[in-house]
Amino acid sequence: MQKNQKTVDFHLGGPLIGFAGKTIPMPLTSLNYAQGITDKLTGFGSIHTTSLLFGVLQTDIGACYGLYYSDSLRIGLSVTPALNIATDLRENNFKVWPQLDVNLYWELKPQLSFIYVGIDNWFEFSGVKAHEETQENRWLYSPQIGFRYVRKKWNYNIESKYLVPYLNNTPNVVDYKGINGKGAIGIYLTLTRKF
Amino acid sequence: MKYRLLLIIIGFTFSSCFKLDDNFFNSDNSIDEYKLDAYNGEQDFVLDNSFNISNNYINIFTLNSLAPSETSPTNIYALYIGDLNTINTDTVIMYCHGNKWHMDFYWQRAKLLAHTGGKNNYGVLMIDYRGYGLSDGKSSEASLYADIDAGLQWLKGKGLTNDRLIMYGFSMGTGPATQLTANPRSLTPSKLILEAPYASIEVMVQDASVLNLPGSFVTSLEIENAEEIKKVNQPLMWVHGTNDLFLNIETHGQVVYNNYNGIYKEAHKIQGADHGEIQIYMGYSNYLSKLNSFIKL
Repeated sequence: MQKNQKTVDFHLGGPLIGFAGKTIPMPLTSLNYAQGITDKLTGFGSIHTTSLLFGVLQTDIGACYGLYYSDSLRIGLSVTPALNIATDLRENNFKVWPQLDVNLYWELKPQLSFIYVGIDNWFEFSGVKAHEETQENRWLYSPQIGFRYVRKKWNYNIESKYLVPYLNNTPNVVDYKGINGKGAIGIYLTLTRKF
Repeated sequence: MKYRLLLIIIGFTFSSCFKLDDNFFNSDNSIDEYKLDAYNGEQDFVLDNSFNISNNYINIFTLNSLAPSETSPTNIYALYIGDLNTINTDTVIMYCHGNKWHMDFYWQRAKLLAHTGGKNNYGVLMIDYRGYGLSDGKSSEASLYADIDAGLQWLKGKGLTNDRLIMYGFSMGTGPATQLTANPRSLTPSKLILEAPYASIEVMVQDASVLNLPGSFVTSLEIENAEEIKKVNQPLMWVHGTNDLFLNIETHGQVVYNNYNGIYKEAHKIQGADHGEIQIYMGYSNYLSKLNSFIKL
């Protein structure tokens, strides 16, 4: 984003799951506010609205930084460190997960549309799960690919993510849809209003 | 506009009443009657005619279930396989069924249990939790315990004593089975059998999220088998399929088994069996033999 530019995003989507005999994306929603701090740095904060409906106040706070951009190739590299913070309003349990997104993007048409590939990383601080069992998955990474269509006032984004493709998705109480019993395919839509 | 946005946020925050609790109870109360052997809905297995129970040993009746915090009871249905007149001398298996539909789905399992050590050697009591089958009301964590205890109160009234009560839980039923063995109410079970138990709701949430997510982020249910089992001193028999795709044998059953510190425990990991396939993979005869040996310890 450009310096001082402001956007509000609405995100919808999640991992594909089997539900009532059908495969659907988990309908997770969030609202995000972002502002260009410099031409290379954008700060953002979000509220996860679906979580809020379940009594969990969850937010992402972070920044996106353009590490590299080639004017001739129209290829860029960005990193997005963030903190995902959540607390439930009933028992006041509190969690923080650091996140790091790294994306390589290619502008198909200048200032109009681009595709990107990247990797989304989540980090689990806690080494112990319920009943004092060991938390074995401390670094969770998920490759992603997306397309953004840029208009004057609105952006439209579709992204697919292969969540933790190295972990078995069974046994599990949730019927995740992955590939060969691994991970889960996620589908995410984002609608952005620019100000 | 600012005020409207604030109201929406406050509304979301304080109305946060959505929980996935109800998803835990996969009940079906659309039936008009219990069909038992005539039930032709989906079942994990169907026994042949040699396992038939004579009609005078099949008793369906209602009970009043009252949780400690309630002022008025709820009418629930129960099924007793055995002779009502000999409960004061018989050994009885209290079968706590899983979270699916109603007693018709579990009839074959209860009927099989009634052949432990021979046909009608032990009595078997099963109840439909609130909201299941013909039972009134709606299930909650507290009502699961109250409903099973209503069955135990009835057995006690018929003359059953602690030493002749065997508690058996399958899947969701391992919650009330463990809870009421660890914290007895009307009767104190002499032995506990857990088939495909879960460790806790929190483990379900953590298995599903991969992260160390607190259970309270998703549900207000707790059902802590892995903690309650620490209070159980009675002998424990654990049976779990190694291919249980619903409740992971490692993150659920094994944790419960490991946390047990009582006087005796035995584990039966059934190679290749999925969640509802223990009896099929073990073979009925072998399954009944193992149960009977444990009961007769």
